[in-house]
Amino acid sequence: MRKFSLVLLAAWFFLAFGPVSGAVSAQSLDDVHKSALKEGGTLNFYGTLAQVNAERILPVFEKRFPGIKVNHVDATSDKLVARAVTEARGGKTLGDVLQIPLENVSQAYDQGLLLDTNLPESAGYPTGLKGSFWTSSDLQYFIAAWNTNLVKKEEEPKSYDDFLHPRWKGRLIAEPRDLEMLLAFAKYRFKSDEKAIDYWKKIAAQNVEFHKGHSQLAELLVAGQAAACLTCYSHHYPSRIKKGAPVNYMLSEGVASINATAIFKNAPHPNTALLFARWVASEEGQKVMAQGGRNPAHPKVQPVEKTRTDKTYFITVSDLKEFPKYDKIWKEIFRLR
Amino acid sequence: MATATIPRTGRMGVTLDPALLIPVVGAGVLIYLAVLPLLMLFIGSFQAEVAPREFVYTLKNYQAAYASQYTYSTFVNSLIFATGSAGLTFFLGTLLAWLTERTNVPLRGIFVPIAVVPLILPGVLESIAWIFLLSPKFGYLNVALMTLFGLDSPPFNVFSLPGMIWVHSVGQVPLAFLLMVAAFKSMDPSLEESAMMSGAATWQTFRRITLRLLMPTAASVLLILFVRTLESFETPALIGIPARIYVYTSEIYLAFNEYPPDYGRGGALAVGLLLLSAVGVWMYTRATKEGKKFQTVTGKAFRPRQFDLGPWRWAGFAFLMTYFVFVVLLPFLVLFWASFLPFFATPGWDALDKLSLDNYRYLYGFRPFWDALQNSIVLATLTATVAMVLTSLVAWIVYKSRLPGSWILDFLAFVPITIPGIVMGMALILLYVAFPIPIYGTIWVLMIAYVTRYIPYGMRAASGSILQIHSELEEAASASGASWWETFKRVTLPLLRPGLVAGWIYICIVSFREFSTSVLLATGESRVLSILLFTMFEQGQVTVVAAIGMCMIATLLTIVAVFYKLTGKIGIQT
Repeated sequence: MRKFSLVLLAAWFFLAFGPVSGAVSAQSLDDVHKSALKEGGTLNFYGTLAQVNAERILPVFEKRFPGIKVNHVDATSDKLVARAVTEARGGKTLGDVLQIPLENVSQAYDQGLLLDTNLPESAGYPTGLKGSFWTSSDLQYFIAAWNTNLVKKEEEPKSYDDFLHPRWKGRLIAEPRDLEMLLAFAKYRFKSDEKAIDYWKKIAAQNVEFHKGHSQLAELLVAGQAAACLTCYSHHYPSRIKKGAPVNYMLSEGVASINATAIFKNAPHPNTALLFARWVASEEGQKVMAQGGRNPAHPKVQPVEKTRTDKTYFITVSDLKEFPKYDKIWKEIFRLR
Repeated sequence: MATATIPRTGRMGVTLDPALLIPVVGAGVLIYLAVLPLLMLFIGSFQAEVAPREFVYTLKNYQAAYASQYTYSTFVNSLIFATGSAGLTFFLGTLLAWLTERTNVPLRGIFVPIAVVPLILPGVLESIAWIFLLSPKFGYLNVALMTLFGLDSPPFNVFSLPGMIWVHSVGQVPLAFLLMVAAFKSMDPSLEESAMMSGAATWQTFRRITLRLLMPTAASVLLILFVRTLESFETPALIGIPARIYVYTSEIYLAFNEYPPDYGRGGALAVGLLLLSAVGVWMYTRATKEGKKFQTVTGKAFRPRQFDLGPWRWAGFAFLMTYFVFVVLLPFLVLFWASFLPFFATPGWDALDKLSLDNYRYLYGFRPFWDALQNSIVLATLTATVAMVLTSLVAWIVYKSRLPGSWILDFLAFVPITIPGIVMGMALILLYVAFPIPIYGTIWVLMIAYVTRYIPYGMRAASGSILQIHSELEEAASASGASWWETFKRVTLPLLRPGLVAGWIYICIVSFREFSTSVLLATGESRVLSILLFTMFEQGQVTVVAAIGMCMIATLLTIVAVFYKLTGKIGIQT
């Protein structure tokens, strides 16, 4: 009798949990779409995707899966995490999907806000581009860029070392939160904290002006606020150059970091969230990301625009825990708060 | 002074029915709107989270807010910003008001409406326009002056405390102007005439009589400008934060919006700002009461006399023209110009080739713009309507019902004037994120915020009109057998209409421009135009922002025009 009930229990377990976890991998996107529609057809997308990219990516998703409308809550990544934390503090989860730099995704995970998932689409990704709760959506390259009206052809920078030249004094801008530059230079460019700190101290002596937000940084460079930008995103430039803006950018070397997609625990529309997360990780979704001007993470998809650097200092998942250390040094070097 | 005489006798039939219910409901609504969020904020400022959703009570938040290495600089920055802005705004507003009201400067009449025009320009746009004009290196004015005089460095830098003071001040000048115009208009000229008769020169009369008579008004105007600057967030957000010049409002915003969010510290800062502003408002009400000693508005009919400036009137004219060109026209022009550019470029012949309608074409197909526009229109009109209905009821209870304790309603309706926008946003997040009614993240939470913030404005418009209506009209209605509601609907309301319409328009405008509360509350689907402007500016689409700004101004003018047409001729009251 007892044996029988154990068998029964095992069977129940299998019926209850087996097929569901199996279903995640077996279900096609179209099946998930059907379940998503039953949730009301809204996706609350907490993402840093800039408008210029979002308007070329999100409508494609909406068209591919009719009946789903994306409510894009966009802000800078720290604001988005802060918002999610605030909401969770009030006992609410409003976001379905989070798509921001990996560093901030981990902060949200540490707060217990994110779901551990294993998307079938991420199987083809290299280990460095996925984790237990995230899959890389795209990569961003920190590069140097300059205003072509203010920098003579022969003075164009060829590498980061060129910015130590006195002619750049008082003519540089950067983003105050880009400690990734210091970290990557320390670990991968110089392979020495000392040398990296020395380099950035020399840069600090050039009187760098700081502005928050990479898009704004690019726009300031276009307007001529500075001659060159030290920590700009490469994907901001091709579209601006096409419009005739007087800028150019350096692809000889740069720092790459990961943007990641994750699903909120207790998301109000879990299947819709899953649908988006799976789609954006799929080859199909990654092609759309590329066409939207982003730098795809999928190994088989190439960026549409020239945004990858020749020599790349890649920030990996294991570097995340060292962010606080380099953040402190970065702020000290530039006297930031 | 319009003061109502409320007869002690009279038929209570008018008020008997609602006597029990309406004031209680009114007080309940006001407590819910104005007091509950503040209570949440106050409690929150003493809480620390030890585990997810588990709190202990502590004073640490206050320590973090007021004893950190940044406390002093934030305090000093706020003080300089508020004092500087109040002073400059007052100076410009008073000079404009005096020149147009009390002197013989040529063409002064046309400058009166012109001085009020900047009211239409939302604070966010004002800041953006001045960034375009005064940014070091690419600001149009800087570039022009550098080329003109062969300067090596830009003469102005908007990203500085003086820059913040300038930008905030020029946006506030219409307010100071209107308040001072009212003061100049109501001045009895006989005192000045006596001085002149006794041999005083124009300047002497101005200094020793006019200025002294103005002292009480001046003090109260300065105070209100000081408080409003302290509470403002547009300039601190758009110019202060990039320049790393932090004031209280930006500290509160950052405490809430950066990871890890620090509600405790933010709450403690907000409570401090709230107290500061409450003290300011209290001093203001005291100053205006004191002013009665200097009362100049009497039953006597008079026309304020004009000062003859002699040849100096041309200097006055030059000042008015300069003000008009540089402060009123230029910000509009620079936004208009930028809205046709593909990216921000310094003006020149090569920029002319780049002009196109692309930004407007882009907006046509840009869904977030249409969503935000719809939200802004719905919110502005609904807020104005709800606020005016609510406040006319409350004002009626306070001034007409003669119910005991109605002063409590009056007091409650005044409380929101002390709540800075950013503090209101923060308090409402804390309240509604945990509230059983699911309105967090929707435009309804914004409407609650706007209605609450503008109740005092509505009260002013409504009570002004209600005080002028003598009770005998209502009593006559009730004597003829009308119920309380019928009396209100058929007698009181029609008589109130002009005041209510003016209040409606004003609240509609300020709701449409609102930024500092919305910045914390509006997200995704509930985003309004001012917030769309801010996010897109942060994302660097500055020329599209200029195009949105143009559409925003056009929409605002349309709403006002339509409402004005619908309700007959009335003026904007502030």
